[in-house]
Amino acid sequence: MIVDMLRVTLNKVLNGAKLCPKHIYIATRAQSGEVKKPEKVEVFIDDKPVHVEPGTTILQAAAMVGIEIPRFCYHERLAVAGNCRMCLVEVEKSPKPVAACAMPVMKGWRIKTDSELTRRAREGIMEFLLVNHPLDCPICDQGGECDLQDQSMAFGSDRSRFTDIDFSGKRAVEDKDIGPLIKTIMTRCIHCTRCIRFASEVAGVDDLGTTGRGNDMQVGTYIEKMFLSELSGNVIDLCPVGALTSKPYSFTARPWEIRKVDSIDVLDAIGSNIIVSTRTGEVMRIMPRVNEEINEEWLSDKSRFSYDGLKRQRLVTPMLRDCNGELKPVDWEAALLTVAKVVKNAGPAIGAIAGGLADAEVLVAVKDLLNKLGSEALCTEHTFPLDGSGTDLRSSYLLNNKIAGAEEADVVLLVGTNPRFEAPLLNSRLRKAWIHNELEVASIGPKIDLRYEYQHLGNDPALLQQILCGQHEFSKKLISAKKPLIIVGSETLERSDGAGVLGTVQALAATCTGANKDWKVLNILHKVASQVAALDIGYIPGVDKIRDNSNLKVLLLIGADECSIEKSDLPADCFIIYQGHHGDYGASIADAILPGAAYTEKQATYVNTEGRAQETLVAVTPPGRAREDWKIIRALSEIVEAKLPYDNLNEIHVRIKELQDFYMTDAISRASPTMAKCVQAVLKQKQSKY
Amino acid sequence: MASFLLRTRTLSKSPLCIKWCSPSISTTAVRNTEPQIKNDIALLNPEEIEHKKKLQNYITVEGTTDISPITGIPEDYIKERRVRIYEPPKNCMQSGTNNIGNWEMEFDTKERWENPLMGWCSTGDPLSNMKVQFSSKEEAVEYCEKNGWQYFIQESKLDKKFKPKSYGVNFSWNKRTSFN
Amino acid sequence: MAGTLVRITNLTKNQIGAFAPVINNGHVAFYSGPAAPPPGTPPAQTKTKFGPLADEDRIFTNLYGRHDWRLKGAMQRGDWYKTKEILLKGSDWIINEAKVSGLRGRGGAGFPTGMKWSFMNKPSDGRPKYLVVNADEGEPGTCKDREIMRHDPHKLVEGCLIAGRAIGAKAAYIYIRGEFYNEASNMQVAIAEAYQAGFLGKNACGSGYDFDVFMHRGAGAYICGEETALIESIEGKQGKPRLKPPFPADVGVFGCPTTVNNVETIAVAPTICRRSGAWFASFGRTRNSGTKLFNISGHVNRPCTVEEEMSIPLKELIEIHAGGVTGGWDNLLAIIPGGSSTPLIPKKSCEEALMDFDGLVAVQTSLGTAAIIVMNKQTDIVKAIARLIMFYKHESCGQCTPCREGVNWMNKMMYRFVDGNAKIEEIDMLWEISKQIEGHSICALADGAAWPVQGLIRHFRPELEERMCKFQEKQRASC
Repeated sequence: MIVDMLRVTLNKVLNGAKLCPKHIYIATRAQSGEVKKPEKVEVFIDDKPVHVEPGTTILQAAAMVGIEIPRFCYHERLAVAGNCRMCLVEVEKSPKPVAACAMPVMKGWRIKTDSELTRRAREGIMEFLLVNHPLDCPICDQGGECDLQDQSMAFGSDRSRFTDIDFSGKRAVEDKDIGPLIKTIMTRCIHCTRCIRFASEVAGVDDLGTTGRGNDMQVGTYIEKMFLSELSGNVIDLCPVGALTSKPYSFTARPWEIRKVDSIDVLDAIGSNIIVSTRTGEVMRIMPRVNEEINEEWLSDKSRFSYDGLKRQRLVTPMLRDCNGELKPVDWEAALLTVAKVVKNAGPAIGAIAGGLADAEVLVAVKDLLNKLGSEALCTEHTFPLDGSGTDLRSSYLLNNKIAGAEEADVVLLVGTNPRFEAPLLNSRLRKAWIHNELEVASIGPKIDLRYEYQHLGNDPALLQQILCGQHEFSKKLISAKKPLIIVGSETLERSDGAGVLGTVQALAATCTGANKDWKVLNILHKVASQVAALDIGYIPGVDKIRDNSNLKVLLLIGADECSIEKSDLPADCFIIYQGHHGDYGASIADAILPGAAYTEKQATYVNTEGRAQETLVAVTPPGRAREDWKIIRALSEIVEAKLPYDNLNEIHVRIKELQDFYMTDAISRASPTMAKCVQAVLKQKQSKY
Repeated sequence: MASFLLRTRTLSKSPLCIKWCSPSISTTAVRNTEPQIKNDIALLNPEEIEHKKKLQNYITVEGTTDISPITGIPEDYIKERRVRIYEPPKNCMQSGTNNIGNWEMEFDTKERWENPLMGWCSTGDPLSNMKVQFSSKEEAVEYCEKNGWQYFIQESKLDKKFKPKSYGVNFSWNKRTSFN
Repeated sequence: MAGTLVRITNLTKNQIGAFAPVINNGHVAFYSGPAAPPPGTPPAQTKTKFGPLADEDRIFTNLYGRHDWRLKGAMQRGDWYKTKEILLKGSDWIINEAKVSGLRGRGGAGFPTGMKWSFMNKPSDGRPKYLVVNADEGEPGTCKDREIMRHDPHKLVEGCLIAGRAIGAKAAYIYIRGEFYNEASNMQVAIAEAYQAGFLGKNACGSGYDFDVFMHRGAGAYICGEETALIESIEGKQGKPRLKPPFPADVGVFGCPTTVNNVETIAVAPTICRRSGAWFASFGRTRNSGTKLFNISGHVNRPCTVEEEMSIPLKELIEIHAGGVTGGWDNLLAIIPGGSSTPLIPKKSCEEALMDFDGLVAVQTSLGTAAIIVMNKQTDIVKAIARLIMFYKHESCGQCTPCREGVNWMNKMMYRFVDGNAKIEEIDMLWEISKQIEGHSICALADGAAWPVQGLIRHFRPELEERMCKFQEKQRASC
């Protein structure tokens, strides 16, 4: 910590200027992209010239030369409000300071971000903000990562002159109850309206707003009600003060005593980038990490708040079912020896089912082990149509156009998916496009509230056929669209007519290719984090192969908890091994339990619905005797005398790459043959009864 | 780095710490006594003086060299460990950007446990508490190679297409950007 | 109220620079040199004595409601006379007359009306244009627009049509203060009469120009008299001012180009067009031309609203029309010359002040809406100003920080000052706070709250100090 601070300070002293490398980096980054456009405006920020697009605000122009203007209400992902007045800066020849966040620059303006006038304006605003702000930083959860604290240190006055504290005191505001996730301490509110703008723009819920006037203005829901949004947790991050804080996290840790570990969320197939904050071997909270291509800087509530489930119902020790049919804790040696004996006896009569939270490492290890034992019965819990090209082509089961690509689309057809719950951050992208890009959305499936307007075509898969044949009015829109997208929910494809739906959709995607060749129309939205990796590695979607195998002796469940298979589906003497981290359905039917690690406890690879491989990092140690999953399989392989050829993470990564590159070269690099193959698959499909 | 740290600490304890960043502090103070003759130098012959001077200079080595044999870090700390090189993103809770824009390296987290005495968090691993900042990815890579650490680079997707912000669109008559 | 809320420094030079293309295109004379006055320059004033206004030069001939306010009466007084011909002369002609007249906005900011209208002359991008009439007169002391609306509503209706023609508007919205029930009612009748007579609606006055006038009643918020807050309010949102730019001429009501004018500004437009801009410019000093409604209230013998020539000396105005200060001129303590948001001036300044834009700036105050509040020596001046600040505190919209927090803070301090329960240093502190509020907020309401305090401290500091000393003595004595 001290070293870091020292380095930064030293850098500044040595450079003798405010321009540290990052700023130069940002500046060049910004300029290189703009060289093509000729009509640029030159302005001077603190006498540094900068060329910007017309319409750029002062604040943005200043950021390009590495000058940061303080702000509270301004947020780059929200609309400009201009009401906190913290960003006031002096513009030469203007008698009064202007709000940098809203004022577009004009040619030749000379902006002074550190002049006497600017500094006095900031100091004044800071003073006003603090007049009615309770100075309860010592008990405030925002303390230590609070913009108001930081900026009052940097730009505020060094002493208070609020003499009225001895007379009338400060304003007090009643706290609002807006649900179990967000704690409100409204006295701390500085009325920046970020939360209101987030709710109405990003979340699409107009529940938050202001009531009252002047000093009595309050932010809240107009009537007492829950802030019902799947993205509600983000207002905690957005709030520049401690007015909105996390209820589960409240009073549990301070920001300076927690360790932050960058990781990946696995609770949906989006693969949001997260930061896991830990203290004393416990996950204290989960926050989003910026990734412009996936989650921007948002996080869905499920990903943010479900971390307390990591401490409950955990499998902490290996267990074996004894003669009474009860699961008894044993040590690793006993468990592995027993399991190995059963596996060895079974020989090739072994199968495995991968659940939704399995990582790529364990998937590879299990596949290699079973292959060595002579079995190919590797399945995933969630099924996917195998007709046509099936899962041989990577592009047939991916969100090919990427999450960020949804922002550019002009027409989107949702087929049997509710992205609001299946992938909230994809939905927020769609909403963004709907707002800024005049996106038109249509949906086939149940009528749902997506938080933006869309055309509900109906709930009948036959509609797809109509659109394909041009009988439906929507087909015109889809074909004339420059950037059409068809997003198919994986759940729809699990239905009995899933193959037919997929075939029709593939044909439809082939007819409306859009204007751009690189644009990929067909997109599959998965629900679970493991599915893409499992399909990449060569798992068979669906458990039919296991169910149909009447002489299966051993079944290995890798976190398979979704009741895809029941004990009655299996031969009576089938030995079930459950490897996972939670005592859920899978563990209840198991004969042996091998406790694994959850995603915060292991360094593991997950491939999201776009086909993007990302790595989680170890934040905390697995509880009790639980171990990293691939290592368990590796240990088992040694006992069953089918030793897997990798000893550490690097080696298993090499192995994963071998497997994945095969698919990648096939599908991604040759995008257009894909379409041709899709068409072939469709032609084949047309002969089938669907 | 360590010596810097040390020096800063001692300085900050001294009453002069108020001006510690000014360059004058590290240089000489006015000396009132006579210069002392250093006996050991006076007694040496010219070759020996030459040799001593050489020792005081830096030794320049071309290319990257593995210095792990002489850093004193136990071997089992170097083997098995994976260093992550990454670009830290902005903290979502705050709007300040002064701590970002550089590259960092960190080790993987090793086992931690709750100390039975105080309930604090303990670890047997000194390396996973270390974060080193670099101004570029290449510097970080070079540093890791020099120390013989296995590393992987995690590219962050922090670039965003530039779009001018507009206050006027809030009131647009034909766009969905105007709310309420 | 309204216009007072528009800042006097509303357009900085830079911002005018933003309009440079528009301005340089044809006819702007505002900052031109003496060599060649471009077209649209008001003729130079040769008079040196201003006021009292002759009866035949009055524009508002039914200010006191002694005659019929309806269409018949209005037409007898000359309203709607040859309106068609005026409309047919076209927008350039009307704007030019407005420029020649030297008319400046009557809502307080005093922005040249002709120039404001000419901003709307940009080629259309498909969006309709609108005229919005600010009838949300809520400034304490101001009561001019209501007299127009209840006694001479047809002047305003006709003005809307002519101003609307000048800017090429599709419709006019009259945003009227909610409390003005009778005024709204009379206006509505007048609008209905005008429609029935064919003066409004399709082919208004037979000129081939379609124009509608709508009334919108406010709900009683003072801030809705600020032009952008008014626009928000018309759109059905909370009345919270917008930042500028974009100016309403670019993005206004419903996102379309809009001009917001005060009632009085619009109501004098027909007379200017009929009697020529040069006639209007013959009143008042250069750059302060015209006649103006003055409201005189407070400690005078006959409080009144009167139309007078601009640049009339303040003392003369009070003596002639309001029957002098209660208890004689020497009993005068201070005057707030332009509605509650302008700084007060002490007796000495009152003697020399000329009632026009420049004349009042010269004595460190401003014309505002020309609502003269006279306070004689029986006034508790500190309490009076404290009460005004309380008004502003109550009416602050709460959107931006300096106003929301600062005005409340000032209010708290002012009420302590009334008792003298403060330290003398706090006077300087209050001054500084008022300076931190001024010019840092989105709209001019905060300025309007800061100025009265500044005026008080500027002219009555000894009074404040004396109270504090007395209070402290009393405290000591009671100990």
